[in-house]
Amino acid sequence: MNLNSDDPKLTAYALGELEGKERTEVETLLADNPKARQWVEEVRKTATQLEGELCRGEVPQLNSEQVGAIEAELALREQEAKEPKWQPAESPQRKPFLWRPLIEALAVVAILATIAAMFLPALAKSKRKAQKMAQREELRAQNEDLNQLAPPPSLPVPQPAPQSVYEPNRQRPASRPTSLDGDDAFRRGGGVSEQEETFRRRYATPSASAFNASSRFSTESYSPIADNGFLAVPDNPLSTFSIDVDTASYSMVRRFLNQRQLPPRDAVRIEEMVNYFPYNYRRPTDRRPFAANVEIASCPWNEKHRLVRIGLKGREVANDKRPPGNLVFLVDVSGSMQARNKLPLVKQSLRLLVQQLTESDRVSLVVYAGKAGEVLPSTSGNDKRRILDALDRLEAGGSTHGSQGIQLAYRIATENFIPGGVNRVILCTDGDFNVGVTSPGELLRLIEDKAKSGVLLTVLGFGMGNYKDSTVEMLADKGNGNYAYIDTIAEGQKVLVDQMSGTLVTIAKDVKIQVEFNPAQASAYRLVGYENRLLNKEDFNNDQKDAGDIGAGHTVTALYEVVPVGVSPDAPGVDPLKYQRPMPLSRAAESDELLTLKLRYKEPDGETSKLMTAAVTDAGRRYAQASQDFKFASAVAAFGMVLRDSPYKGTASFDSVWELAREGQGRDAEGYREEFLKLVESAKAIQGRSR
Amino acid sequence: MENFEAKAEWVRTALREYEGPLIRYAAQITGDLDRARDVVQDTFLRLCAESPTRLNSHLKEWLFTVCRNRALDVMRKEHRMKPMDQVELEASVSREPSPAAQAEQNESTRQAIRLLESLPANQKEVVRLKFQGGLSYKEISRVTNLSVSNVGFLIHTAIKTLREQMQDEGLGLTGKRGEL
Repeated sequence: MNLNSDDPKLTAYALGELEGKERTEVETLLADNPKARQWVEEVRKTATQLEGELCRGEVPQLNSEQVGAIEAELALREQEAKEPKWQPAESPQRKPFLWRPLIEALAVVAILATIAAMFLPALAKSKRKAQKMAQREELRAQNEDLNQLAPPPSLPVPQPAPQSVYEPNRQRPASRPTSLDGDDAFRRGGGVSEQEETFRRRYATPSASAFNASSRFSTESYSPIADNGFLAVPDNPLSTFSIDVDTASYSMVRRFLNQRQLPPRDAVRIEEMVNYFPYNYRRPTDRRPFAANVEIASCPWNEKHRLVRIGLKGREVANDKRPPGNLVFLVDVSGSMQARNKLPLVKQSLRLLVQQLTESDRVSLVVYAGKAGEVLPSTSGNDKRRILDALDRLEAGGSTHGSQGIQLAYRIATENFIPGGVNRVILCTDGDFNVGVTSPGELLRLIEDKAKSGVLLTVLGFGMGNYKDSTVEMLADKGNGNYAYIDTIAEGQKVLVDQMSGTLVTIAKDVKIQVEFNPAQASAYRLVGYENRLLNKEDFNNDQKDAGDIGAGHTVTALYEVVPVGVSPDAPGVDPLKYQRPMPLSRAAESDELLTLKLRYKEPDGETSKLMTAAVTDAGRRYAQASQDFKFASAVAAFGMVLRDSPYKGTASFDSVWELAREGQGRDAEGYREEFLKLVESAKAIQGRSR
Repeated sequence: MENFEAKAEWVRTALREYEGPLIRYAAQITGDLDRARDVVQDTFLRLCAESPTRLNSHLKEWLFTVCRNRALDVMRKEHRMKPMDQVELEASVSREPSPAAQAEQNESTRQAIRLLESLPANQKEVVRLKFQGGLSYKEISRVTNLSVSNVGFLIHTAIKTLREQMQDEGLGLTGKRGEL
């Protein structure tokens, strides 16, 4: 083969386009052809210069409406897949010209698809998984326990609820979009286009939550949340969701407010704010793991509505009665953890936890950065010195290989498994997984898989800046775990010392709530928060369907805003059906019951769920008559709605929130509620300043 | 549902990675950034209908192909199709570097892009796909329906012309004049 400097092959070689034999050939010829070598050199210089020149300057981006349209398309596709009968003409987001597909493009796509099909390795695994999940499990009603649960004294005995209820618009679960680098997207103060509003109205189901689209400048990421809307009781008599004991959102909101900034909308998850606070709910008096308490009074932000509070209180477990622990600390020591509020705070917080351990506990320490490594093999909780020394030696550096660390930590936890004990991986991270398992989806599957081993997960989030809230929350969710955000050592004290049993000891798992509303009493309802946790109504009786776990002594609070019959709901009406008539009401509907509350849970080591049900009647209490806990919880929810600028905030304002919270402050031994009042004041000051 | 999460993430990742290069590329064809953005939006709307497993490793060339065809279609439809040489250098406004950055750029760099604009349209396009879009010869050949050797020839010729002209103007990249 002959080469002169005018051969395109030389240029191809210089640009790295040659492979194998061709490449070797050129290299051989180059060895004794200085002129050709010089050309290669020049091509590369020109290439560098062209790349530099052509990629210079501001990178053009789609505007936020265009990104919104793409998000809307994604949300729409999800809906269409779930409801295959939908007419494509319903699509509101497309521009007219989009409907003329380009034959050339399609032809190329077809060719490419053929090529792709030839090369495809397998996403088969995930596909199999999806199929499995999609399989409808036969409804199993086991260990049915039809006793009443904590009914108010005057309640009548509940009648069995009619089961096959007609539901044309069934409630769909919110999608849980993975990291959507989007914290500039909060559309604070308007800026929502008409198109989006139309979309929102038309598809005002929870799964439109993927919609709050985003621009992409900050690396701190929160999954978008769309507030649950009002659902008409005749169409959607059942509301089903998984409990959530996470508290991270409140700490995050506090962090923002303490930095004199209003938090991004999507960082505000109302249920996590409400659940940050302990409430003095009645404890279980029988052998059940938790008790349920229902209280109803008028809704403080819309006096025509009723507010229903469901409060669960988990059995307390004293630290000395705690089962032995097998804890694996999995600490992110990547470069991004260097900041003062990250690794140093991790060390301080874990020290606090180690001080609580006893000789029956075991601790190991795994770190991950460029690669994962075991720093401390499983060590007795008595040997505090060794554990603390190992913690002290941790230093930040390198990039994050989260998946390897997770693999290793779960392996060590499994090797040291204590039957009947607390087997838990405690992951301390800023959530910035940038090396290793590439997609959040893969990471989640990994965690989900590991969770089946019986090892639970606690995720402690640290830091700010590149903090990936969405990733971290989902990890905890999939890993049968809980999630707290630690912004100060005081928060470390709360999570790891004051509420240590709650954090470590799970007393019931897969706790689901299903509420059936009585159409004779309520015309519409809205679940406040829990957008991420909605379940299909069928999921309630499906024991394969994962849900939240409740820790020792935990309180879990959920609020429903209910529109009584006779008050016109804000929800848009649905046309009368053409082929069906509404079902007649059952005799139970003639009772004065407002709703029937059903709970399902599994024992920590159980596989089949147990059911608790109770019928609840609204005694018509005024807000002033409500308990302090009720008032405080409603104040926190209202605060969340004001921060989110929720369309449902009604008359709520920072001022009214402050008043409500003050009325509900109560004894507040730990001072958490006092701190809340201060935060409301800060929020108001920040808002005032920015106007 | 999980499928959808993974898919949504796939689309978002693709968007983050490729919207910039695609808008720049489309702007070459449409002549302005606004229509380029519409074209790229449309490209990603179409991506929403695709399956990640099917496109897999061909995502990039799929995006550029659809984007190219969309852009050409829009131009054709709007009767604004011009030979590509005549299309203005894309969005010189938005791509203008800050004054500070501008001061740092040496004479030859600006010369290079000016010279690039004087090349024939087909050379210009493959050069941009290669050096701006980061596509390989093979990918470029699939996007443009040219053969791989044709792509190689166009790029080679373009680089040769660019170097010769730079040296003629005494602004050679290496400063070694007339040695080639």
